Order: sequence, then C-alpha cells, then structure tokens
Amino acid sequence: MDSFFTRYRNLLVLLAMLLAQIIGLAVQVRRTDSGHNTLDARDPTGVRLIRLWADAVVTPPEQVFHAAKLGIVNLWQNYIDLRHARVQNQELQKTVDRLRLEQASLLEDARQGERLQALLNFQQRYIYKTLAAQAIGSSGNDSSRVFYIDKGSSDGIERDMAVITPEGIVGKVREVFPRSSQVLAINDQTSGAGVILETTRTRGILRGDAAGRPQIVGILADQRIQPGEKVLTAGGDLVFPRGLPVGEVVRVRPDPDRDSFIDVIVKPAAHLDRLDEVLVITSTEPQLSAEQQQDQATSEVLKGAEAAAIKQQQKASQIMAERLPGLADPNAPAPGTVPPGQDHAAPPQAPPVPKLLHPLRPDRFTPGAEPQPVQEQETSPPVRQEHKPETKPESKPESKPLQQATPSPAHAGRNP
Amino acid sequence: MRILANQHRRELGMRSYPLLIYVLAPLTALVLQAWLPRLLRDHTWFDLPLLVTVYFALARRDPIQGTFMGAGMGIFEDALTHHAIGANGIAKTVAGFLAGSVGVRIDVDNYIVRLMLTFLLSLLSGFIYVLIYSILLGMDQEWRGLEELMKAVGTSLVAMIVYPLLDRTQIRD
Repeated sequence: MDSFFTRYRNLLVLLAMLLAQIIGLAVQVRRTDSGHNTLDARDPTGVRLIRLWADAVVTPPEQVFHAAKLGIVNLWQNYIDLRHARVQNQELQKTVDRLRLEQASLLEDARQGERLQALLNFQQRYIYKTLAAQAIGSSGNDSSRVFYIDKGSSDGIERDMAVITPEGIVGKVREVFPRSSQVLAINDQTSGAGVILETTRTRGILRGDAAGRPQIVGILADQRIQPGEKVLTAGGDLVFPRGLPVGEVVRVRPDPDRDSFIDVIVKPAAHLDRLDEVLVITSTEPQLSAEQQQDQATSEVLKGAEAAAIKQQQKASQIMAERLPGLADPNAPAPGTVPPGQDHAAPPQAPPVPKLLHPLRPDRFTPGAEPQPVQEQETSPPVRQEHKPETKPESKPESKPLQQATPSPAHAGRNP
Repeated sequence: MRILANQHRRELGMRSYPLLIYVLAPLTALVLQAWLPRLLRDHTWFDLPLLVTVYFALARRDPIQGTFMGAGMGIFEDALTHHAIGANGIAKTVAGFLAGSVGVRIDVDNYIVRLMLTFLLSLLSGFIYVLIYSILLGMDQEWRGLEELMKAVGTSLVAMIVYPLLDRTQIRD
C-alpha cells in the first residue's frame, strides 16, 4: 500500500487537487429552471473569503505600482521628456507678447469705441450742429495750451468755433488749416470765455493761469461764491453757446492786483489733459431732431390753444361784465341765450360778482347816486368832505340797500 | 546525511531559490497580471502566473510542487475575477504538474526547450480552461484560438526576459 502511494504520489496529488477544485466549482454553479448552468449572483462564504484574501494581497502592491507609475510619468513628462521645450517656450513667449500687444490694441479700440459712442450720443442730443474731430497733437509747450484736431477748413471748420466735449467746453478754434485746426484751450492764459456761476448768477471771464488752471477773473468779492458751484457758459462771447458746462468752483482767492476783486479757480468739466475726441460747434442754428421738432410743434399747438382760451376768457369776462346787476343793458339778450357770434361749445364762465361796498362819499360814479352839480363838487374840497360828511344829509347812500341802488341805464352804459 | 542530500540534488539538477523569490515572484506576477491591463488596455497578450508556474515547476523538477503552485496561482487569478474559482486553478494545476513532470526528463537549462514548453503549456492551459467552462460547468465559453495563440507567443516572449532574470536568483552550491 505504501509503495502504491509512493509510486503514484504525484498523480494522486494531482487528482486530489483537481478533485478539490472540481468540487469547489460544483458548489459555485447551479442549474437554472431553463436547464442552463450559471454562477450564483452572490458568492458563497468560502468563495467570498478567497476573493477577499486575493484582493487584500493584490491591492496594496497595485497601489504601489500605480503610485510608482504616476511618479514615473510625472518624472518623464516634467523632467525627462522636455525635448524642444526651450524652443517651444520661446515660441510661446513670442505668442504671449503678440497677444499682449493685440489685447492692448483691442482694449484701446474698445475704449475709443466707448468714447465715440458717448460723443455720438451727445452729438445726437445736442441742439447745435457739431462736427466730431480727433485731437491729433499739441503744441509741445507748457506755456502754449493749444492742440490740433484733424478737421480743418475743408471740413467746414472756421475760426472761433467752439470746441466742446460732452463733459464741457474745451476751447475755441484759433487757426484753421485745410486738413487740421489749432484749438486754444480754455486753460490757456490768452484764452477767454464768458461764464456765469450757476447759483449766484455772477458773470466773469474764464482764462487760464500760468499753471494751466482755469480761473474766473474780474469778479467783485462775493461771499456767496463757494467751492462746488457749477460754472456755465454765459453766451456773451459769441463763441460758446449759453449754458454749456464749464466746470465747478474749486476755491476762491483775492485778486492780488485789485482790491475787492477775487479770482475763482475752476476745475474744468472736460478732461483737458487727456483729450481724444472733441466736437466742434459748426453752427449755432438749432438743429432739432425729429423728436425735438415734434415736441416743439406740440408746444406751439398748446401755446396757441392756451392763447385762444385766454382770449375767450377775456371775451366771456367782458360779456359777463355787461350782465352785472345794475350794469346790465335792458336791451341785452336774456340769460341763457347766446349772443350772436359766440361759440356754443365753450360757454363763458360767469365771473364772480363783486360785492359792492358802500361808499363813504357817494359821487356821480356811485350806482344809484344822484349826480351832483359840478359847482358843488368843485367848491367842496376832498378834505372838507372827508371831515364833515354829516353836513350833507342828502348824501347818505350807505344807508340804502343795494337792491334799491339800481343805476340808471345811462350810468350802466357808461360804466365800463 | 547532508552530503548525501546535496549529492542527490545535484544528480537531479534541482534548483534552489531564496524564500523571498518564492514569495515575490508569484506575487509580482499576479499583481502585474492584474495591473498591467489597465495600462495596455486590450493588449494583455501574456500570462505571467502561468509563466512563473512553469518556471518553478521546471526548475524544481517536482510535479507536486508544480501542481501546488499552479493550483495556487490559478485560484488566485480566479479570485480576482467574477468567474468561478477553480477553472484557472485546474488549468494551471495541470500545467504545473506537466511542467514538473517534464522537467525531470529534459534539460531545463536550455532556453529554447523552456520557451517551447512554455508556449505549449500556455496553449494547453487555455484549452483546459475552455473545456472546464464548456463541458464541466456546461456554460458558454468560446474558444478563441487566435487570441490564445498570441497569448502563448506573448508569454513565451516575456519568458525570454523573465527566465534569465529568475535564473540569476537561484542559489548555487
């Protein structure tokens, strides 16, 4: 027996192993109702235990392998596989530089577009005819605050035309060339613009000082002028239309040359130090838009209707005055009848009947009073009559009731 | 007694390896077999557990050791799948037994012989696996000959690299 097991030991071991595994397989497989064999959806406890062990053995090394793989890939990609990286870096740097330039250009275009849009909006709303122009250069000298625009005589620019921005006035055209113009800014020392302070209505002349700060000169000292007050164009200089914003008062200082005069330092509303686009007022004739023209027509219609109503009221007042009690003409038409030539649609309103006061001294103009002789009136000075009214018992109209003081038709006809 | 044992080992040509190799080599084979498909996607045309089984069975020239190693590797492989545990185990048990049995009779130092044996046993293992599923378990399992062939070739090619490396770890008297 021992020799049998010794001789066939290998085969017996093999058969034992195969048999054990076949039994294990048989445990895991079951026959379905349709006659097919299938595996259990849920593993038996022993099988599940084997899977658990296998997983516990394999998973940690797998994690190590995975981490090593990531490290190797990272090492390869970031440190080893960097061929042509320097060349690519240089190319990318060039691309970045180009894109930065393009971005700056686009940004500038966008800003210019916004400014032009604001300028266009202002131009469309502005009542005067304007021409947009670009500031293209300056004098290059601090003492000469002029700049050049890209519009000239060929574009209709003329000397002394006002140059403005939506924020406020800028200056006036000083020299005109065919394709460009020279503009004298309001902060130049030789500039001059008639301005008015919005609140105090004080007028003055705006010009720049040596430092290029606009200031209003030639103003008598006035305590009411305070910083922050708005400054507008006065419209008397024949350059700037009236009412354009100029700036606001920054501070007030005494005029060093003249007593009782002050200089008002003004902060200009327009950004004089960074002008790009400006508007040149080419015509002071109002250029009304369709909407503005419609508004104006509506206003004219309303104004005409108002005038007609006033005229009608006056006419009605005149008619009612003729109907006043005691003043009515007996030949006048009866109440309720419309006199010929009067509009039926708009009956005149009856004016309030004034309450007649009793006169202290009845005269010939008093309704119901007897006309006095001219001689008596002339011989009775007003002073005496005033002090001795009781000496004339026949003249006591205040004791008469109003209804009895019916004036004669003749008096009523004379009374306006 | 020790002298006699050494003499007997030399006569048999049985190789000996450090214990760490016995543990690490199968474990590495199993882990790589489970992990490499994530990198190679559908191109896992090798069977590292079979390779290790055949190598140690040939090197040890012991069918019983080959049987146990094949069974263990196969069961481990099955445990990592959702299939029945034992199909791979039976296939690799047979492969290990045959490798150990053949190893007694052939020159295991010859690379060509070992590669050829690896190739054949790989095909046989695949065939047994399909047989177990289709006949023993009565479940549908398609025999994909071309893939099995490529797998056998791939295993043999990998064996050309791995076998010399493992040979270097053997304990020489």
